[in-house]
Amino acid sequence: MIEAAHLHKSFKLRKPGPRKGLRSLIGGPTFVKEAVRDVSFTIASGEFTGFIGPNGAGKSTTIKMLSGILHPSSGSVRLGGIDPHRRRVETARTLGVLFGQRTQLWWDLPLRDSFEVLGAMYRMDPQRRRARLAELDGLLRLGEFLDTPVRKLSLGQRMRGDLAAALLHEPPILILDEPTIGLDVSAKRDIRSLLRGINEELGTTILLTTHDMDDIEQLCGRVLVLTDGTLSYDGPIGGLRSRIGMPASIEATYRTLEQAQAAWSALQRLDSASLAAVGLQERTLTVQCSLEQSRFMDVLRKLEAYGELEDARMREADFEDAVQRLYAN
Amino acid sequence: MTTLRSVRGLIAMHLLLIRFSFRSSMQYRFNFWFGTIASAVIASVEFSLLAVILARFGAIQGWTLTESAYLYAVLVLAKALYRSLASDVHHLEKYLVSGDLDGLLLRPVPVLLALMTRNFSVRVGETLLGASMLAYSLAALARDGAIELWVALPLTLAAVVNGALLLFGIGLATAAMGFWMTRIEVLQNMTEDAAHTAVRYPLSIYPGWLKALLSTALPVAFVNYWPAMFILKGAVGGWTLALSAAASAAALAAGGWLWSRGLRSYQSTGS
Repeated sequence: MIEAAHLHKSFKLRKPGPRKGLRSLIGGPTFVKEAVRDVSFTIASGEFTGFIGPNGAGKSTTIKMLSGILHPSSGSVRLGGIDPHRRRVETARTLGVLFGQRTQLWWDLPLRDSFEVLGAMYRMDPQRRRARLAELDGLLRLGEFLDTPVRKLSLGQRMRGDLAAALLHEPPILILDEPTIGLDVSAKRDIRSLLRGINEELGTTILLTTHDMDDIEQLCGRVLVLTDGTLSYDGPIGGLRSRIGMPASIEATYRTLEQAQAAWSALQRLDSASLAAVGLQERTLTVQCSLEQSRFMDVLRKLEAYGELEDARMREADFEDAVQRLYAN
Repeated sequence: MTTLRSVRGLIAMHLLLIRFSFRSSMQYRFNFWFGTIASAVIASVEFSLLAVILARFGAIQGWTLTESAYLYAVLVLAKALYRSLASDVHHLEKYLVSGDLDGLLLRPVPVLLALMTRNFSVRVGETLLGASMLAYSLAALARDGAIELWVALPLTLAAVVNGALLLFGIGLATAAMGFWMTRIEVLQNMTEDAAHTAVRYPLSIYPGWLKALLSTALPVAFVNYWPAMFILKGAVGGWTLALSAAASAAALAAGGWLWSRGLRSYQSTGS
């Protein structure tokens, strides 16, 4: 459904340097900033894919190339087989786009009017538009504010209105750029369940960018991670955690203080890559281990070699931490 | 047949978008009516200044008060028509700086059409002012036997439409430069504001180089001065009208070419 092959985008920028004030007026050396480098991926019909990366990694640039706003410096994009740069108008019909940061609705008019204009732009016949709107109303609950001017809507309502606007012309592909930005917890939960519904009930292929890892964990079957303009990960979420090799930490409490101290000094001498003691607090020893390499029970057995355990607790690596670590590398 | 249908479709789309744009601006009625009245007042004050000078000296460089009123009226009408039909093309800078152009690029409608219909306003004030000045001037000239009204009137209306296209072409070319420069306000001051101000007065008051500039590189003199030289004065041949049409065709071609080139190198804004 969405195919990107070897996408590159570079911008020419003025080199910051000693030219200040008046001298900067007459140009100066420029340099080329490569915002996106050799990004390739294919998204199948009906997939729900998350697209993450730190600020400035090139997410928005990639999204804009996919939706036909920006022309790639090289490489190609196909949306349902169509090249969005050659046939922008046709692409617009197969694509719904939502930018969380700015609305695409008519600011001063009631929400209903926006749908009327959009319906006409996409040459929908009024009857089909009404049927579609009824369907979206069932999903997004627009009825309560359909006649309110857009400028008076709350952010959560506006986002629902924008979603409906992006979906009105029945696009098979939906691209969402930070759809939960600025929303409170309950509005976020609301939007997430709506998105899940859209993906499952309408069968829409969705690509979503976000900085909220909960969006990704709860919605996306697949994640693309963009760092510094290149695709550093493409696969399921579970795989992301293990690929980074995030250690799980285990807190084991021994019966006596001596046992704990013995285990602590023994493990420090051991210097093993798969099992490392990282803290001792009274009778509780904290160790980190990679669960990819050894099973939880095996680790416990090793720890019990130094004395009987009273309690053991495992904390799995946080997804948010995992992503932070990935960004940092 | 298909092109005919698509042209009809575009016109229908244009009208629809204008209707909604108008509905938007009617949300702020006071602002709308006050703006309309204010623009008419400003335009009439500007002409009064010219009228005072002319009343004092009788004529400037061979142009009487009524003839100058004609030049002024044709310019005001052409400009009102251009700005009514293509309002936000002049404000492209705003869209480039904020990144709002992105939204227009996502619609299955030509970007230029979408932009032309944004913030639509009928320039009622200027139109009324221009029409009444034109009526006054043509009536006075016909009474003196300088022109035949039934010849001059249709030619004048054609000159107004042609002038609007010419101003649109220049405005479009200037706006399209924004795709490379982003900030185009100063450029617009030159090619639009200053140029429009210059041709409010008869071209004959200017030094030769400026006359040449306004008739070639920035051919705004073809909006009113050169058509008037034929329609009112018969001082030049009818070919001047053909030349005026050629000037607007050239300006539109240049504007269209720069626009499509510019759109291709659009860089959008961060995030």
